[in-house]
Amino acid sequence: MSSLAALWFLSLGIAAVALLIMLGLLLARLVLGWTGRARDVEKKRLVPLLLGSRPHGKLRGGERGDLLATILVELIQLVRGSDRDRFVEAATRLGVPERLRHNLNSGSPRVRLAAAEALAEFADEQSVERLHAALGDRSSDVRLSAALSLASVDRTPPARELVDMLGIGTTENSLLTVGLFRDIAASRPDEIKALILDDSVPANAKAAAIEALSASADYALVPLIASLALSSDSEDPALPRYLRALGAFAHPAGEKAVKRGLGNPRWDVRAAAAEAAGKIGLTSLGALLREALADPTWWVRFRAGEALARMGADGAALLRQAAANAPEPGRTAARLTMAERGIG
Amino acid sequence: MSGWQTWGLWAAEWIALLVIFTGLLQTFFYVVQLGFAGVALGRRPPIARASLLWRRYADEAPGIAVLAPAFNEEVTIVESVNSLLALHYPDFEVIVINDGSKDRTLETVIGHFGLSKVERFHDAAVKHNPIRGLYASPRLPRLLVVDKENGGKSDALNAGINVARSPLFCSIDADSLLEPDALLRAVRPFVEEPLKTVAVGGTIRIANGSRIEAGQVLDIRMPRNFLALVQIVEYLRAFLMARLALSAMQALTVISGAFGLFQRQAAMEVGGYSHGTVGEDMDLVMKLHGLFRERRQPYRIDFIPDPVCWTEVPESLVILGRQRARWQRGALEVFSRHKKMLFNPRYGRIGFLGMGHVLIVDVLGPIVEVLGYFLVPLLWGLGLLAADYLLAFLAITFTFGIFVSTATLILEEAELRRFPKKRDLAILTAVAVLENFGYRQLANFWRLRGWWQFLRKQQGWGTMTRKGFARP
Repeated sequence: MSSLAALWFLSLGIAAVALLIMLGLLLARLVLGWTGRARDVEKKRLVPLLLGSRPHGKLRGGERGDLLATILVELIQLVRGSDRDRFVEAATRLGVPERLRHNLNSGSPRVRLAAAEALAEFADEQSVERLHAALGDRSSDVRLSAALSLASVDRTPPARELVDMLGIGTTENSLLTVGLFRDIAASRPDEIKALILDDSVPANAKAAAIEALSASADYALVPLIASLALSSDSEDPALPRYLRALGAFAHPAGEKAVKRGLGNPRWDVRAAAAEAAGKIGLTSLGALLREALADPTWWVRFRAGEALARMGADGAALLRQAAANAPEPGRTAARLTMAERGIG
Repeated sequence: MSGWQTWGLWAAEWIALLVIFTGLLQTFFYVVQLGFAGVALGRRPPIARASLLWRRYADEAPGIAVLAPAFNEEVTIVESVNSLLALHYPDFEVIVINDGSKDRTLETVIGHFGLSKVERFHDAAVKHNPIRGLYASPRLPRLLVVDKENGGKSDALNAGINVARSPLFCSIDADSLLEPDALLRAVRPFVEEPLKTVAVGGTIRIANGSRIEAGQVLDIRMPRNFLALVQIVEYLRAFLMARLALSAMQALTVISGAFGLFQRQAAMEVGGYSHGTVGEDMDLVMKLHGLFRERRQPYRIDFIPDPVCWTEVPESLVILGRQRARWQRGALEVFSRHKKMLFNPRYGRIGFLGMGHVLIVDVLGPIVEVLGYFLVPLLWGLGLLAADYLLAFLAITFTFGIFVSTATLILEEAELRRFPKKRDLAILTAVAVLENFGYRQLANFWRLRGWWQFLRKQQGWGTMTRKGFARP
C-alpha cells in the first residue's frame, strides 16, 4: 500500500472514530437524560426536600453526586438568613463539603476552581484546612479563589504571607486582589496597612492594599500614601492608583503629591492627579488645573474641567475665564464642561 | 512516451502534491487547534451564574461603553436599545450611533426615550465624519445617542470611541442580541489580567429558529433552513476550535464585529477602526498586535468560549454568498495591509502562527482547494495521475473535513452542552457530514469570488437583506 493510500485509510479511520465518539456522546445523553431543563426540574424537586417542607420525601441514592453538590451550592448562594442555614445544614448532612474537598484534588483546574469557590459557603475546620492547602495549588486561579473563599470566612493566613503565596503584585495582578484585601481589612486592617509600609511588598500589591483601604476613612494613611506617591519614580505604574486613592480620601494632606502629579510626563498620572484635585477640592491648584484644560491628552483636559467644576465658585470662575480667553483646546474644554455641568 | 506527455505527467504530479501538501498543512493546523481548544476548554473557569459574577466583580469591574452603530434601524432600534439598557453590569453606558440613517431611526429613538439635544465634552483623537448632535435624557443616564453623517460601520464606531468615557468599549452589530450577563462574562480577562488585556472576543451563536422576546433568546431551537444549520457547525468550528485555540496560543487575529471588548486607550493609539476595508474588526486586532509587539510591551488578546451574543445568519444562497465573498475580501485586505508581519520574528507568534494561519486557511486555502476540485479529477481522467493521488485528495477533502467538524461537536458536547435537545445534536452531527458534499465546495467558490473582488479592489458591503429575528 502506497503512502498516499495509507493517508486515505488513516483519514477514513479518524473520521469514523470521531463519528463513533459523537454517537457515544449522543447515547450518553439519551441514557443520562442530562439537560438544563432536567436540572431545573431536579432543583425544584430538591428545594422542598432540603428545606424539610416535605419531611416524608426521600433523596434518591444517585443524588450524592456533583449535580447535587452544584445545585445545593447554588441554592445556598441564592438565599440568606435561616433558609441559608438550613441549606448549609442539609448540604453538610449530605456530604457536600466532603465532596467539594475531594474535588480540590481533581486533575481539572476547572473542577478545583469550582470547589474552591463553593467551599466559601462552608466554614468547617476541614474545609478551611483544605482551602489553606489550595493556596499552594498549581493553578493561579485556584489559589486566588481559595484565598477569596478564606477571606469571606475571615480565615486567611496573614496578608503578608498571602502576598508571597499568591505572588500578588508580581505574577498575580487581578483586580480581585483589591476585594481580597478589603475583606481582610474588615477585621484585620493593620495587616493591610503594614503592607503599605513594607518595602519588600511589590508596588502593585501596595496599590491594591491602598485601594482596599481608601474607603476606610482612616486619614492616618493619607500622609503615607502621599509620601509613596512623592517617592515613586514617574514611570511607576502604581502612581495613578496612589493618586486616585488620595482623591478617594479627599484629604488636603495629599496636595503636594497631587501638585507634583499634575506635572508628570505621563498623561494617565496627570489625569489621575487632576481627578484627585477635584475630589479633594484643592482650589489652591486651580491655576494648574486651568492650564491642564489645554493638555494635549483629552483625558487630562476632561478631568481638569471636572475638577474645576467641583470647586464651586472659584472653579466656575476659572472655567469662565478659560472659556472666554484661553487658546484652544482649553477654551472648548472649558465651554463644554460648563455646558454639561450647567454652569452659566 | 512523448516529451509533452512526460512534462504533463510531471506537472500533474506536482499540482497534485501541492494540493495535497496544502491540504495536509491545513489539516495539521486544525488538529493542533483542536488540541489547544480542548485543553483551553478543560482549563476554563466554570460558567458561573450571573448573580455570582455580579457579587464577584461588582466592586472591581471597569466601566464599559457599549457602542451600537445604527443605520436605517427604525423598526428595531427601540427594542435593541431597551435590550442593551437591560444588560446586567455595574458600570456601563449605551452609546447608539446613528450613522446618517435615511429613515426615521433618529426621530424614533429620540421620541421613544424622550431625549433632547445635549452638549458633551468628548475626545476627537480618532477620525470620523462630523457629529451633528448628541442626545440624552437625565431620566436615562446610561443612554447617549450620537447623530453623525454617514460613513459606514467603522466610522460610526470611531465616533463612539471618541464620545465614550469608559476605559473599555464593547462594539456590537446593529442586529447583535447580547445575553444579559454578556459584559460580566466578557470582562473577566480585564479583571484578572488588568495590566495586559487589551481586547476580548466572545462566542457568537446563531439565533435563527430560536424563540426571541424583548431582545432575548428565550428558547434555543434549531433552524429549519439547511444553510442556517450548516452555519451553526461553521460557527462552532470558527469559535470553539479556531478562535479558542489561537487565543490559547496568543495568536488571535480576529475578534468578531458582532461582539468585542476593547481597551479604549489602546484602540485610540492605533487610530481606531480603519476606513476602506470590510475587515475592519480583524484589522483593529492586527493593529493592536502590531502596536504592542513593536513596543515590546506584554499584552493579551483573548477569546472567551462563554456564549455572549446571538446573531441572525443569512438563509439564502445569494445573501450568504455575498457575505462570504465579503469576509474573504476583508481577510485579504487585512492580510495585505499587515503582510510585513508574516514570518517576521519581530512580531513573534502573531507573525508565524497568526499570520501563518491566515495565509494557509484564508489566502491560499480556497485557491488550492478549488484548483484541486478541477485539476486532480481532470488529470486522473486523462490518465496523467495515479489513482493514489486522487484517493489522497479525496481523503484530505472529505474525511478530514468530517473529522474536524465532528471533533468540534464532540468538544461542544463534552465541555459545554449548550444544545438542550438530543435531537439537535443528532441533526448537527448529520450536518457536519453533509456539509462536506456540496456546501463546502460552494463556500470555496464564494471565497474565490472574494479573491476576485479583492484583486479588482472592489469596495463596499453590498446589500445585506435581513430576515429579522423570529418573533413569537
